[in-house]
Amino acid sequence: MQELADRIAAYAAHRMPSASDVSASHVDRIHGGASRETYRFRLRWREGARETERRLILRRDPPGSLIETDRAAEFAAYQAFHPTAVPVPEALWLESDSRWLDHPFFVMEELAGFEASPQAILSAPYAQHHERLAREKWTILGAIASADPEKLGLTDKLPKVEPKDAWRRELEHWTKVIDEDSLAPQPIIRAAIRKLRREPPPPPRRIHVVHGDYRTGNFLYDAEGAIRGILDWEMAHLGDPLEDLAWSINRVWCWGRDERVGGLTSKENAIRIWEQASGLRADPAALHWWELFSSVKGLAIWISGGHEYQEGTNKDPVLAFSSVWLSNAQDRAALETMGKLV
Amino acid sequence: MKPDAPKLLEIIAGKLLFEIAPSVQPSYRQSSVALTGMLLTMVKEEWERAVARRVEENEILRALFGRAAGQVGDAGLRGRLEAAAREKEASLLVSRLDASNDSLRALLIDLHAHVETHDAPWARALDDEIWRELRASTERRRFSLSPF
Repeated sequence: MQELADRIAAYAAHRMPSASDVSASHVDRIHGGASRETYRFRLRWREGARETERRLILRRDPPGSLIETDRAAEFAAYQAFHPTAVPVPEALWLESDSRWLDHPFFVMEELAGFEASPQAILSAPYAQHHERLAREKWTILGAIASADPEKLGLTDKLPKVEPKDAWRRELEHWTKVIDEDSLAPQPIIRAAIRKLRREPPPPPRRIHVVHGDYRTGNFLYDAEGAIRGILDWEMAHLGDPLEDLAWSINRVWCWGRDERVGGLTSKENAIRIWEQASGLRADPAALHWWELFSSVKGLAIWISGGHEYQEGTNKDPVLAFSSVWLSNAQDRAALETMGKLV
Repeated sequence: MKPDAPKLLEIIAGKLLFEIAPSVQPSYRQSSVALTGMLLTMVKEEWERAVARRVEENEILRALFGRAAGQVGDAGLRGRLEAAAREKEASLLVSRLDASNDSLRALLIDLHAHVETHDAPWARALDDEIWRELRASTERRRFSLSPF
């Protein structure tokens, strides 16, 4: 890791021309989502007589990943929501030139000392705070939904879409991933795609910011049940806010292997909290469409990861594990949403 | 092969999960080792049922296609259904069974899409039969570790 530390320090010195004695240390790769290589490190530098140390995160593009995404969109989302009611780390530098660290990357603040694991949340000391965690989780999602993307400066940074086209763009995008990456025929999800095309949802009244992967496992929480950071914005886009709500209550995130969505609360309570926080109504028919879409998107992601692994472009076991572990569960979730599991 | 493959996989997975992973640093490598251990527990489960579930499913699909062939009006699709219904397994190698299964499930997609465009009683009955098979197919593939 020393070579990487030295290269990070060289880059930081380039970005901070007034700094001297720039060094990086404690470089440690962590699991930070399957779409990018994630490292934590400490950066130390001097400016005049003042010495500073910051704990930072490096998110670097890998050769292949679960999600082929635009790092600029992720970086823009972090910048847009810092600082707001949506807690996110401060985004510092976005770099597309591969000469620095071999692949494009960005650097952001590390929110240290908190938990992110969807399994840890099920046990002490976090399990006693599920009511608060649920309230905060869907209140923050409501805040994302109620945010004005234009005021956040995101309409210039994320691809535009008309309300009437939001569903179609997302469905066609993830259908294309399934078309291109499937290692075997997928009769359940193909039936779901046909149904979604036959019965499109009513459009949202306006376009909103969509996090794109809002679920237990992608936020940081503390031992008192407070959510301290919303992470993994790599699929952020403009669209229908029900997409995020539906994704957050997807069956495969029922980590407690019971009815609690996100391992935290009932589906009805999650929707109620979100409606109160966002000021929006989750139209049941529209939400149902997005719930089924969530299974199409989910399976597309598991298929894509399995494809990368099988092709050998990325041998991270998380890709194979997610694909093997969740593909069938996602099919069952789709069946349940279509009323075909009983 | 002795010791049996499932026993080997069970022991190796246990070693990775409970002995090796806790002592591995940094955290990224530790979780990669643990994930590999959990993957092996699913490989063990699949090893045991691999041939049985593929043979069972392929037989069910061929029988379904045989019944559907007598009802589907589209000549091209009917011909494909009849041909598939007549096929037998040429080999019990998992790779060959998988190839047959892929071919049959691709045909199932086409049949399902065709049936959905008809409202006649035969089509409704066939649609119900396809959904029952799709539900059963997820039971055959289900892992004990599955979250759902």
